[in-house]
Amino acid sequence: MSNRQKSEKAQKATDSFKNKMNRQAILSFGVCVHCGMCTESCHYYLATRDPKMAPAYKADRVRKLYKKYFDFAGRLLPKWVGGGELEKDEDLQELMDIVFGSCTMCRRCTFNCPMGVDKALLMRTGRAIIYEQGYAPQGVLDVAKDQWEIGNQMGISDEDYLETIEWLNEEIKSELDDDTAEIPLDKPNCNIVFAVNPREIKYAPMSLLAAAKIFHVAGESWTMSSTKGWDNTNFGLFAGDNKLGAHMGNLVYDTVEKLNGKMLVTSECGHGYRATVWEAPNWAARDLKFPMYSFLEIMVDYVKTGRIILDKTKNPVSVTYHDPCNLARSGGITEEPRFLLQQSVMDFREMYPNRADNFCCTGGGGAMSMSEYAKRRLESAKVKADQLKETGAGICATACHNCVDGLTDLIKFYKLGMKVNLVGELVADAIVWEKKPVIPVIEEVVEAHAPFTVMVIDDEPDVVTFLSTLFQDSGYNTLEATSAAEAFAWLKTAKPDLITLDLIMPGVSGLDIYKDLKTDGANRDIPVVVISGVNPENPGLYDMRKLQFEHSLPKPEGYVEKPIVKEELLMIIDKVLDHYKHKK
Amino acid sequence: MLELLKHEVQYVALSIMGLVYILKVFWILRFKPMKERTPGRGMEKKAIIASFFCLAMPWTMESTRKKWYKWLEFAVFHIGIAIAIVASFLIPEAPGLMTAAVVTIFKIIIAMSFFIVLLRLGRRMFSPVNKLISHPDDYFSVAMMVIWFFVAFFAMDMNESHWQFPAYFAITAFLIAYVPFSKMSHYILWPFSRYYFGKHFGHRGTYPKVKGEL
Repeated sequence: MSNRQKSEKAQKATDSFKNKMNRQAILSFGVCVHCGMCTESCHYYLATRDPKMAPAYKADRVRKLYKKYFDFAGRLLPKWVGGGELEKDEDLQELMDIVFGSCTMCRRCTFNCPMGVDKALLMRTGRAIIYEQGYAPQGVLDVAKDQWEIGNQMGISDEDYLETIEWLNEEIKSELDDDTAEIPLDKPNCNIVFAVNPREIKYAPMSLLAAAKIFHVAGESWTMSSTKGWDNTNFGLFAGDNKLGAHMGNLVYDTVEKLNGKMLVTSECGHGYRATVWEAPNWAARDLKFPMYSFLEIMVDYVKTGRIILDKTKNPVSVTYHDPCNLARSGGITEEPRFLLQQSVMDFREMYPNRADNFCCTGGGGAMSMSEYAKRRLESAKVKADQLKETGAGICATACHNCVDGLTDLIKFYKLGMKVNLVGELVADAIVWEKKPVIPVIEEVVEAHAPFTVMVIDDEPDVVTFLSTLFQDSGYNTLEATSAAEAFAWLKTAKPDLITLDLIMPGVSGLDIYKDLKTDGANRDIPVVVISGVNPENPGLYDMRKLQFEHSLPKPEGYVEKPIVKEELLMIIDKVLDHYKHKK
Repeated sequence: MLELLKHEVQYVALSIMGLVYILKVFWILRFKPMKERTPGRGMEKKAIIASFFCLAMPWTMESTRKKWYKWLEFAVFHIGIAIAIVASFLIPEAPGLMTAAVVTIFKIIIAMSFFIVLLRLGRRMFSPVNKLISHPDDYFSVAMMVIWFFVAFFAMDMNESHWQFPAYFAITAFLIAYVPFSKMSHYILWPFSRYYFGKHFGHRGTYPKVKGEL
């Protein structure tokens, strides 16, 4: 087919491919001998034994363009060497399924290739050329848009961000019983400028709380930005968009320079660390004057210099460690988390294989935002599930928020009964510090919560009773519903201040209820905290993200995974209601 | 005709290969490498050296560690190629070096290489993964190797009356000239590829792979 017959997008993607070739790329595209040695390094292949999941095959879907346009023989006889074209829009769609849907760019195959082919680089090139034409999973497009427009991947407004920090400040003061404990914002001339994953602001504040606690106990001079420049994540890496990559990097680097920070530290986020520390300076063509570290490295320094003292008896449960790909294979961080865990838990168990040979959590490469591929992701997670099971550990520690989500999903799917924690959370739990005894004034808490009514929607009566009792003990009024019909009957006569919603319910599912709530003028401003697990039969159907993208719905105000941790749930409810009260 | 095949044709083929290789190196150097602006965390030089020697250290990669027999196949096969090429120049230029002992060793290795490459051809034809990732050039290159090792085995006897003897020189010349245009050109790309692999991952401290204490 001649160039004139190609669709416009296919032509643009092809042109873009030609422009993206640099020395490393042409070598990785050209040197593959199709020996197949990479095949069994890929978790997608190992879990399915589908030949089309072999890394060499997947890479060839992109490599065909190299063979056609760059290979010496391929320019004359493309078919002879596997050369080919992108001709139709459907070809871009098909490529999307491969480069986004069946590869997490974990680089395990790269490390197992005798030729030195960096297949992740090839996949990212494939992602880049189709992403530019609008072909990417909706989740990736939405997150990238949020990063461009709002400056963080979860579209968190400055107002919401500041309220969360304010709320966390109250928590840290209360936990350490120290009024000077806080998350300092925009403090100039600090030793550390800290950048976090927006998940820590939106859904998992415990990890930021843990970091704040560690910094405080270590007597660190640190700060965070009060506006853009606090998000260390970077979907430019996943989308293959170097401009977005540079933009997100620049936001953080500008913050460090503006505040005259001595160093930049990224919280526990695998790709955030890789993108911020290793990739974005190159994308932004920026020679930075300050050093950058992972929070893990900082914690190791605190332990070694005695700035924090750990008592491992505080963490008696057995713990194993999952190496995030972007730290172990792309970032050089393998020993720091192990050192920290050996210092902070009683029973640390190594996982095999480990370090640079470890398997992907299956949520990497932006996979957690691609709900359309959730089924395939969970199927491929069998390899990781077997690895986890083999350890017999009660907790899987990791150092990446993406991995936390990926691991939590697969642990539920394969019913492993493990808990996932960040390394920093376990370190924070093990910290020894002089704390004045805090006697909770129950009456005050109850009084503070009394004006609020929480509606509990869950199909399981036991869960409804459990949650209602928990909320009532904390001073909330409650309404109970075990079905959509009951819930909407209540809503005709009462307006709760918050709804906790189970997603997986027979008949009208929680997703449908959520959709109806958020599209109903009278009820859409009621904050919703989703409390749910994963349906092993059909994870995709119950994927909240999918629903949001398909119906342009706002994100839920809170999200809590089952099994429920009471303290975590109450903290989230408190935070959401506090925010809600301020808005009102 | 045989004399032409043994001498001039070999050198013409070698010249073509050399010329295309030089062109290919210039072509590679035309592409700008990605510039690294971050301070290194690891030891680049050590990593580059380790990267070059990865094939001599099969225990460093899970793929070669677990499939050690494939690594063994690879090693014998490539030694066989080197021997078959060297012999194509020794026979006409320094036949005195082809002593009985040398011929015996060459024949053993070439025979082993023949069976290995036959196995590899079978794998390409019947293993679902290898079949899926193979293109005509892959089949052709491997098939040519099967034929080449077959004739090379008999040619080592240096009996000019056997049909395998001239066939050996003809196929050697063809292969030498064809190599730069085929998958076999990985010879020229491999050193560059391993260099950048070592440089990139060595810079970040992820290669050579870390084992041990902090």
